[in-house]
Amino acid sequence: MDPLKIDFDKGTLILQNVPESLQSQLPDILWDERTLTHRAPAYRYRHIISQLRAHDMPYEDTARQFTVKEFANQKQVSPYPYQSEAIDAWHANGKRGVISLPTGAGKTFIAILLIADTQRPTLVHVPTIDLMHQWYEVLKEHFEQEVGLYGGGQHELQDLTVTTYQSAVMHAPHYGNRFGLAIYDECHHLPGDQYQYAAISSIAPFRLGLTATPERVDGKESRLYALVGECCYEAQVQELSGKTLSEYRVVTIAVDMQDTERIQYEEARRTYLDFLKKARINMGTSRGWHTFLWKSSQSEEGRVAFKAYLTQKQLSFASAAKQEWVWKLIQRHRGDRILIFTQDNDTAYQIGTRFFLPVLTHQTKLKERNAFLNGFRDGTFSILVTSKVLNEGVDVPEANVAIIVSGSGSVREHVQRLGRILRKREGKQAVLYELISKKTSEQFVNQRRRQHHAYQTR
Amino acid sequence: MLTKDLLRYKIREGQIYPQFVKPTDSQLLSVSDQLITVFEASPNTQRSTLLETSKHIIDSTPDNVIVKRGLEKLLLDRTEFDTAPNEELIAFRQNLFTETSRLLSQDMFSNYEEYLQKVSQIAGVESQSEKGELGDRLYADLPNCQPVLSFKTLSAQHLLHRYNTAQVQGLLLHCNSLTLNLSESMTAELRQLFKYLRFNQLLSTIRKKKIGNDDCFQITVDGPLNLFYKTKRYGMNLANFFVAVLHQPKWEITAEIQFRNKRSSRLYLNESCGIKPISQQFLAYIPEDIQLFQDMLHNKTDDWQIHPGSQFLPLPGDFYCFPDYQLIHTSGIEVWIELFHPWHQGHLLARLNTLGAQTGTPLIIGVSKELQKQSIIAEAMETSGHFSKFGFTFRDIPTMGALLPILNSLVDIDR
Repeated sequence: MDPLKIDFDKGTLILQNVPESLQSQLPDILWDERTLTHRAPAYRYRHIISQLRAHDMPYEDTARQFTVKEFANQKQVSPYPYQSEAIDAWHANGKRGVISLPTGAGKTFIAILLIADTQRPTLVHVPTIDLMHQWYEVLKEHFEQEVGLYGGGQHELQDLTVTTYQSAVMHAPHYGNRFGLAIYDECHHLPGDQYQYAAISSIAPFRLGLTATPERVDGKESRLYALVGECCYEAQVQELSGKTLSEYRVVTIAVDMQDTERIQYEEARRTYLDFLKKARINMGTSRGWHTFLWKSSQSEEGRVAFKAYLTQKQLSFASAAKQEWVWKLIQRHRGDRILIFTQDNDTAYQIGTRFFLPVLTHQTKLKERNAFLNGFRDGTFSILVTSKVLNEGVDVPEANVAIIVSGSGSVREHVQRLGRILRKREGKQAVLYELISKKTSEQFVNQRRRQHHAYQTR
Repeated sequence: MLTKDLLRYKIREGQIYPQFVKPTDSQLLSVSDQLITVFEASPNTQRSTLLETSKHIIDSTPDNVIVKRGLEKLLLDRTEFDTAPNEELIAFRQNLFTETSRLLSQDMFSNYEEYLQKVSQIAGVESQSEKGELGDRLYADLPNCQPVLSFKTLSAQHLLHRYNTAQVQGLLLHCNSLTLNLSESMTAELRQLFKYLRFNQLLSTIRKKKIGNDDCFQITVDGPLNLFYKTKRYGMNLANFFVAVLHQPKWEITAEIQFRNKRSSRLYLNESCGIKPISQQFLAYIPEDIQLFQDMLHNKTDDWQIHPGSQFLPLPGDFYCFPDYQLIHTSGIEVWIELFHPWHQGHLLARLNTLGAQTGTPLIIGVSKELQKQSIIAEAMETSGHFSKFGFTFRDIPTMGALLPILNSLVDIDR
């Protein structure tokens, strides 16, 4: 009988000559009558090979297009004890799994040590272009070798490559057999409807997920663990505060709207709520928002209600009173390094335009993004305004003050924003200000958010 | 393409019905004309100006708002904006922010106006009106301010046909596979359909089927991962593929559409839906590769005529393929050629498996040398009885040196 053969085909594995006796042992393989072969999702590669070895079944493997590769870490820095524990936990978990640590706790450094340990070509997945460039710099610094970039117009594969999730979804079907280690930074993104295919289409037997918050509102973290491995190590922000993270405090400022804004707000909110009531829309359900979008587009009254919804939201996000508070806080923290966060780009640019400050959004072109970030790091710019692009991962250790003008209300977002100012520096005391419009829905959202442990222990 | 919020459809008893517009609807034709006129006049104006003007047209009448926004979206897809960075402005910002940062780090201001005064001085702005404009000028290169470079115009009626096509494409983005029934015919349109299929890297199984009294070919189109997941991974490819379906004289498609967190519904459409093809069809046009192939063949022999593939070829078992070329010898012998490029690995393995050791199918297999580099492919080629008789390899395009010996052997066998 011909030997069993395994090959990689567009994010899947093609298996030829699979003995009947073995077919039931490999639960993820199916007969594909389009190609008259057996087929499996690429991420089951490790499982299939393990099964074949367990059954002493000879096989020809042309799927795997990587070999052992030595990566020598040029920077000899000792890990903190908790970092060593995380590394040991990942090894003990069969070189798979998620490590959950707060922002600033050195997740990237753990990844560097694991790349050097694992000695396999490595593909690092990140959610944003900014993070892609940040990883690129870190990898170059540690390994002193060519680092590939795949995403944001770049298409270069190297044994160490950084890609965006979005790009990996598109291209993993072509290169998913070239890497032995897959790292998923901010891996809570991975279980998304499309992003998961970046992991499904790869054969990488060794997988590492990094995040501060693996839990998802939709409960899909189980999908993350299925694709990357169980959460093998976890530490919370309060366990590391003052030790490896900076001391911090959270200050909530309830802001009164100006009278004219208050009248406008109340009127718009009433119009919006009246429509919800009339159209029998319950915004508390998971379909509430979509139903509102749909029904409001069906009539003139609905369109007025939708405009009213936007108006009241915009007023609570960016009232003139909030801008006055931004001015006060900027003045109070002269000499500090301040990050100002907003929910939307419009508000970010309003603040940038009013106070003549650099604004970083997804609309900022790459060259200027780098100039703003580098300027902030080296002190040329002491204040940076941003909507969401700095929520995750991007390293700005010099920041010690965050002003949250508006946000989505999610706990994850606030913990991530807090994380931006927690990187330890000698004598650093971090402060996070939240500006909340009084007597608006923002107040309720804030109360709910404050139940998170990052707030409770302070 | 239309985004989900711009799609119009109804779901009844598990069936999804796209809400097409009438391409002869005088009101919609008039609105389309107005919008096209605005877009035609848009080069050199800012995106925000263009959008404000088109919004004015959309809002001028209360009905069909979603349709009008959909039309606007399709016109925007045909508009090119100047997205190049404004270096002068970037430098201005860099300098100004360096100064404002210094001011805010060092100085205490009694109020905001004092700060504004200082910034205006630094920027060299003196008059009151210029001070007001300084902020506006700061981010004057945001997408809303980008100027229009060009717009690819079209007729109002064509826009409405495009809109109907986009309604179907928008639904297909949310489907995991589709089944296409085509009447048995020998048309050049089919060739284009299979080109689209391969170009979009989709997999297909072709079966012959009887529908009513008619013989037809049933083509199931999806991607490799569909075997395991109801994935919409290939939705975009399927949506693009639909454009080629519209060129077929008689067709019907069935697709399962599933929006996020919703039950799936079945989409059924056939040629009677009245959507006209939106892409150009070059039936009289002889593709460059065919022309080159023809010239090379004529330089070597007058005995063979080459034509683009235009019909299904039965394979062993219940399978069919759609070859790239057909060759006809002066004696009447007919033979077909199917080419496999580097991205056709799965297709080639399937073909060699289907053909097995049989040599009765008059199908010549051409394999790219790049594809042959893969050991699994090289081995499959070596062990294929069919390939040993009817196979050859090529670098960029097939050469006569590799093909003619096979063609001659066929004539010899026949004698």
